[in-house]
Order: sequence, then structure tokens, then C-alpha cells
Amino acid sequence: MITGARHGKLSGLRRLLATAMARDLKVFVIPGPDIARAHGLDINAAGLQMVASPRHASVLLVIGAIPPALREAATVIYAQMARPRALFVLGTNALLSPLPDADMTAELSQRDLIEGVQQLRQLFSAHAFRPDISDFDAPVLQIRLEYTCPMHPEVIQDEPGSCPKCGMTLVPRETQANMEHAHMEQQQTDSGTDVQMASTHEHQHMADDTPASVVYTCPMHPEVVQDEPGSCPKCGMFLEPREVKSESTHEHQHQHQHMADDTPAPVVYTCPMHPEVVQNEPGSCPKCGMTLVPRETQDTHEHGDTDSHANHTGMDHSAMNHDEMDFMSMVDVTKDLPRSTDGLPMEWIDAPFGPFFPGLPGGLLLSLTLDGDTVASSGALSLTESMNLLAHSPMDSTDFMEQLANMDPLTPVAYRLLACRALENAAGINVPADTARARAGALERERITSHLGWLTLFAQQTGFDWLMRRAGSLQLKFQHASLEQIVALKPAIQTLIKRLQRTLLLKSRTVGIGRLMPEATMRGPVARAAGLHDDARSADQTFTTLGFTPAGRKESDAFARLHVRLDEITHSLMLIEAAGAMESPTLLPVGTASGTGDATVETPRGPARLQLTLTHGQVSAAQLETPSTPHLDLVDPLMEQQELGDALVAVGSLDLSPWSSQQTFPQ
Amino acid sequence: MTTAVLLLLLAFGAYLVAVLENWATSGRFQLATPAFSALALLGRESVLPRKPDRIFFEVAPTLLLISAVLAAAVIPLTPNLIITDLATGALFINAALVYVLVALIMAGWGPNGAYAMIGGWRFLGQLIAYAMLIVMPITAVVMRAESLLTTQIVVSQAGLWNIVYQPVGFVLFFIAAMALAFLPPFDLTTAKGELAGGVEAEYSGVRLAVFRLGRLVLIITLAAATVVFYLGGWQGPWLPPWAWSAIKILAVTAIMLLAGRYMPRIREANLLSWCWMFGIPLALLNIFLVGVLVLVFS
Repeated sequence: MITGARHGKLSGLRRLLATAMARDLKVFVIPGPDIARAHGLDINAAGLQMVASPRHASVLLVIGAIPPALREAATVIYAQMARPRALFVLGTNALLSPLPDADMTAELSQRDLIEGVQQLRQLFSAHAFRPDISDFDAPVLQIRLEYTCPMHPEVIQDEPGSCPKCGMTLVPRETQANMEHAHMEQQQTDSGTDVQMASTHEHQHMADDTPASVVYTCPMHPEVVQDEPGSCPKCGMFLEPREVKSESTHEHQHQHQHMADDTPAPVVYTCPMHPEVVQNEPGSCPKCGMTLVPRETQDTHEHGDTDSHANHTGMDHSAMNHDEMDFMSMVDVTKDLPRSTDGLPMEWIDAPFGPFFPGLPGGLLLSLTLDGDTVASSGALSLTESMNLLAHSPMDSTDFMEQLANMDPLTPVAYRLLACRALENAAGINVPADTARARAGALERERITSHLGWLTLFAQQTGFDWLMRRAGSLQLKFQHASLEQIVALKPAIQTLIKRLQRTLLLKSRTVGIGRLMPEATMRGPVARAAGLHDDARSADQTFTTLGFTPAGRKESDAFARLHVRLDEITHSLMLIEAAGAMESPTLLPVGTASGTGDATVETPRGPARLQLTLTHGQVSAAQLETPSTPHLDLVDPLMEQQELGDALVAVGSLDLSPWSSQQTFPQ
Repeated sequence: MTTAVLLLLLAFGAYLVAVLENWATSGRFQLATPAFSALALLGRESVLPRKPDRIFFEVAPTLLLISAVLAAAVIPLTPNLIITDLATGALFINAALVYVLVALIMAGWGPNGAYAMIGGWRFLGQLIAYAMLIVMPITAVVMRAESLLTTQIVVSQAGLWNIVYQPVGFVLFFIAAMALAFLPPFDLTTAKGELAGGVEAEYSGVRLAVFRLGRLVLIITLAAATVVFYLGGWQGPWLPPWAWSAIKILAVTAIMLLAGRYMPRIREANLLSWCWMFGIPLALLNIFLVGVLVLVFS
């Protein structure tokens, strides 16, 4: 039985089609291929082919228990898939509501995945078609109708009716349930991204709270604007009232200027072909000899230089050629559209990228407002659950450590080590030097694994197939590799790095992309790519005796971050060899000690700091700082005004982990 | 009769391209896989997205296929195996392939989705980059052959293939052909990691099958055009003409499919600026050099 079977009886030709579909299973992975690899799963080797669009998938593979926000997003993905579709859940038996019941469940291991795929194939060939199917529905898929006025987009209501402002009949409009939902989510969280998100939405629902005033304008001559009713001096038509918002669009602003008599706008002269030529007197252009045209300057430059450029073209029309502007004035037609920085009015679209976008870490949602293919504004949000550090207080120290280790599936060892160190610090235990070395080895192995995982995601994003396969398979090999295996894998890493240095287009793809201002809050490899040599390992005696030196670059762009990570892979290999041992950290017995502990571990994404209070061997208070939390706030400045592809590379270069962001809990 | 044979060959060629593409992406050489993939696509539901532009959405995949098949009509596989030896053959290829752009913009606009739409407009932006680099190298090829007949173009390379006679033109045409077939690293319009499939993202089932078929035919047509214009078409020693055509076309296809695996996707801005700053001057230089050579040696 497959819940999402296709309608029809299995007979004749359909039997053949079902067999073909069973052989050709295309999978969409949730929360993402990065999480699959972090759990040691090789999806391609299991015979499933990963696809980028849910429409092309026949299997939805869910890995591990996922938080409610991601479940709802996954439900939308499931509904987008073409039937027959199956839900394959790994590693959890929990109900994934509002997703339907799983068609197949298995343990979280490669062997069980392969077995599950075999059974899925049988399911498909036997049950791909079914005569009695029902439509899949969930509250998150509902589309709500709302009514809005064609002239006053700020008027929105749930029932049909007429506009309170102009009396026109309201027209129905659909609001997408998942967009609505994303919006709700943003309101629930109390992070800084909220404000940015709200501002994005204002582009559509113009803010109602701005004061409006009424001016009178001619329907044929939009440049005629006055404060009182009357007739047009050009054509004699009655002027029509129009509401003006002080802040909404540039056109409105421009009328404001006309109305405000006490601030006369100074006139400058500029060349129609060379806008950079501006002078105070009339004359001709020194560049092309054309006669300069007068232009009013704006006193207020709140929207930046480029925007006032947009404004000036509008001014030109009204000042100079108003006689030719009667018919189909583009200024008039496009006056309510938002302006790009190049001054062109464009339809802006809101598009969510994530939380399961193929080129981004799984669980990360970017809400982009796109102006063509340029990002006008963006907001980043982690849809993973903000886990409470202390499920209950006081909490058993071992439980606490396990919980922290399971927080981020991308780097479990680093957070396990962090918990151990903080607890041992609180209990006043001195860790023997060889244990510390073995732990350092395990941490460095995870760093290699994590950086290789980042490389794979970068390759996936930029369509660099060879790197995706190579780095992906190396990541899986390194994950649980022994010392001997790591030594044996060293040449493969060196070849990979050498190959990357010779790769065509790689440099042009990354140089200058995602450049960060020096004052931005940066952590870990991102900081080290900006010339800051802060690395928690420099302060750690275990690492300094192993001969650790931090990697460093200065350019602070995607290229530098790529190279810092490659350098760190090489360094980590050396450190592992120097340490000569690797051992996943286990907590030394803390007994019934009391005290406060403070520890910092340089995770692959940067330093994570844990402060906790231990009372009689139990954790009573804890506070965690992770590198991804401040990095999440860098997303908007990085993406703004970038071409979409560049913007995604820039965000990717931060190596965000949605699983360990927003986790600060002051006690 | 010839038409039927050639259409069959074209379908067979498209299948081989699918095998090669599967080999390039998965690393496994499996002859049967594309057949199963195609059947599976036919078995799946073809979802109609919400509020589509129905005409654009339905027509786009078919138009892509038609455009590629039309261009294939003037490609000679042997001196006589050609659907129609048009007097304006070399230009006709270019004219037919213009509809690839139309098809992709329709496929981008039709489904009413952001990813698809950006993909479609990206292809339009790309056109400015590659279009001149298709036409200008063809001009130089035609100058040497002194004919627009594709068969005549092949005959003109009897002494020396154009890849040696005008290597600059070959490189430019090859790159532009890859961009026109939106093959990696020029797959800006279907970019998986940037647009989740772009123009393909909203197609499923039968419609996707037609779209993919159109793309495969487009790839093999462009490879065949490269062979006709630069690699001496059917000419070669020992083997019969059709065998040479087949070998050359498949070799060019394989290179086209494999090249993009080893580099990241090109930046849109770079593609445009490089094509204009280097591509077009080089194409002009190529025309000039060929003009001189033609004058000197004739």
C-alpha cells in the first residue's frame, strides 16, 4: 500500500510503468542531503537519485525526527510531488503530522536504508496504481481568500465588499498558506531577523500608519497636482482627489515637494546622456556637447543617491516634455512599482528559498524579495526548533551532555566535547593529557568531515558535479575513519586541494563575492578569512603542544573562506597525526561536585562557549553561545543587491548551521 | 523515406545522449536506465501548477522539441542522408534554434513560479551573450565554403577541416552551442542548486518527458552542427560516411556533457561581459582572418 498512489487499476501497460517507476526512484531529502551525509548515509549508493525539485521526486525521504515548523514545510513539499509518491522515514517512529503516515520506516543506517529502498521498489511495482485514492489535504495547504481594492492595496479584508476609501468593489486575492505560515513563524521568534522580515512585507501591504493627505490631480496630466479642487490648466478637466502617503513611493514624494511651497527645490542642469554631468548654470555637456536640461534637486536623500536618480527621470518628464507625456505615461503606469537601485521600476517578487532548498543547508529559510534576479532584501531564519538547553532543572550531567551532543547533527563531537569540558571544569576535574589529545584528534576529524561537507554543499549549489561526488565520498570516509585510514586518505585530500587550485571558473565564481565589512561580527573560518586570527585552539595547551597555528586570509570573501577551510583540512590532518589518537569524548565522572564551569571549543564553524552551574552533580543553569547565531544576522547585508547566484554563494560561504543558531538562553 | 530514417536516427541519437548524460552525472554506464526513466516519467502524474498560463505551459516543451528537430533537418549525415538540403541551410539552423529561447521563456513564465520565471529570464539574458557567437563563426565557415548549403560546407573541408582552418571560430561556436543547450557550466536557466531546476522545476510526468526529449535532441543537433561546420562532417578514411558522422557526433556530445562536470557554474555577469569583451572581437578577427585566407588561397 502506498498512501500517495496514482489513480487507476494496475493492469497491462500500467504494470510496465510501475516496474519502471520502481527502478527509477527519485528522492527528495528532508531536511537535506547535508544531514543525510552527517548521519553517514550515502543516498546515491543506496540506489536513489536525488533531485532538486519536489515535482521530480517520487520518494520523500525524511531523516530523523524533525521539528514542527519543518514538518509543515515538508507537508507542502509532499503535496507538490507528482503521484505516485511515497514517504520514507528513517530513524524515528514518531508521527510526523501533518505529513501522512510513513509508507516505509527504517533505522538510521546505510544498511537499513538499502533494505528499505529494496522494499520501496517492491511497493512501487505492486501498488503504484490504485483505483481508490483520496486527495491529500492538510491545514497548511489551505489557501485563504482575501479581498483587496485594486486602487488601495492597503485595504485588505476577509469578506467581499466595497472599498471604504473609493467605493470600488473589492477583488479576491489568494494568500498562499505556506507564505502566511512563514510569516507567522517569523512573528513567533524573537530574533533580530523579525524586523527585517516585517520590512520586506511592507513592500506589499503598504504600511497603514503613515499619515495620508489628499491632493487633486488631472486624470490626463498626472504632473498637474494641487491642494484644492479645480480644473486642469491644460485640458480643463475636473481634477480628481488622490491620497498621498508621505513615505510610500517616490512619485508621491515628488508631489509632496510640489505641495511644500516653503522649500523651493534648487534647479541644476544635467546632460540627458551623462547624468554625472551636473552644473548650476545652463550650458552644453563637456562630454557630448548636448544642451543641458534643467533638473530639480531633492533636499531629502533618504532613499540614497541612486533612488534620487530614479526620481530625476520622473522630474524631467514633468518639467520638460509634459506636452508629449499625455499618452500612456510610463511614469504614471509604473508609479506604484518599487524601484531598483538602477532606477528601473519592476515587479518585485517574494520567493522563499528553503527550508529544503538544494543549495542551502537543510532547515535554513531565506525569504527573499527579488527585483528581477537581484536580491532586494532578505531575511534568514532557522526553522529548526529552538531547543531548551535544560529540558528540566536540575538535569543529570550525562543527560545534559547527550542532549547537547544531539543538538546539532552536523557537528555532534564538538558539542559533546564542549559539554564534557564545561562539566569537568565545573567539577574541577583535570583531564589527563593523553585523553585531551585523543579528544583533540576526534575534534579535528570532525572538522575535516564538516569542511568536506561544506565543500559538497558548495559544489551542489554551483553545479560542480565532480567536486560534489569527490568531497561527498571523502566526507563519508572520514566520518569514522581510524588513524591508519586517515593517513591513507591523506593523498586523496591533497589531490583534491591541488585540483581545486587549477579549476576553471572557480576563482571568478568566488572572488569578491560575499565580502564582509571588517566591523561585522564574524566567527571561526569566516573571521579567519578576514584576517582575524582568533581561534579558540590558540589558547588551548593541548593544541599548542601539537603545533597548532591558525589559518588566515585577508580578503574576507567567498574565495578566502574556501581557502581557509581547505587550509584547515590540511592543518587538521597534521594535528591528527601529531595527536596520534582519536577518541570521542566521554564524560569523566563528576560525582556530586558543585561549581560553575566555563568552556570554549572551536567547532568547525567557530568558537562555541558554554557556561553552566553544577549543583551536587546536576546541571542547574546553562548558557550557550554558538557561532551560527551571529552569522545568521550577516545574511541580509551579504545578499542585498547581489545577483541571485552570487547571493547564494555568499550565504553558503558562511557555512551556517540552522541546528545550532538562536540558542542563547540567559538564566 | 529519408525523413523517416533520419527521424529514427535522431531518436536513437537522443537516446544515446541520455545514456551519455547519465554516465556523466552518475558515473555509471547503463544502457537501459534512460528507457526506465522515460517510462517512469510517463507513469507519473503530470501536475498542473496553480494558476498557470496554460497555453505557455503546455506549448513550451513541444516547441523546444520542434525547434531542435527543425534545426536537425538541414544536417547531412552522408552526402545524401539529409532531410532537406536547403539553399540557406547554415542560416536555417540558426533561425530554427531561435525558438529554443522562445520555448524556454514560455516554460519560465507558464507555471507561475518564481524559480521557473527567473530561469526563463536568465536564458533571455544569456541570449545576448551567445547569439552573436553562434552567427559570427557560422559566417566565417560559410565564407570558406562560399555557400550556405550544409553539404557544400562539408565538401569545402575536404582538404583541411575547419577546426584547423579556423580554430578560433570552432572554440567560440562550441562554447556558444553549449550555452544554447544550457549545458553545465552554462546551465543558468535550470541551475539545480540556485533555482531548484529553474524552468524544469514545475514540470512533471509527460510534460517533463517531452521537455527532456527536446533538450536531448537539441544537444545532439548542436553536436551534429559542430561536426558539419568544423569537423569535416561525414569525411574520413576507411569507414563509411555515416559511421564517421556518428562517431564524430557522439564524441562531440560526450565532450559537451563532460566538460561542465569539472567546473562550477559560470556567473551570469561574467558570461555576458566575457562574451562581449573577448568573444565578439575574436569572432570578428576570425572572420577577417578567414577572409584573408580565402582571398590568398583561391
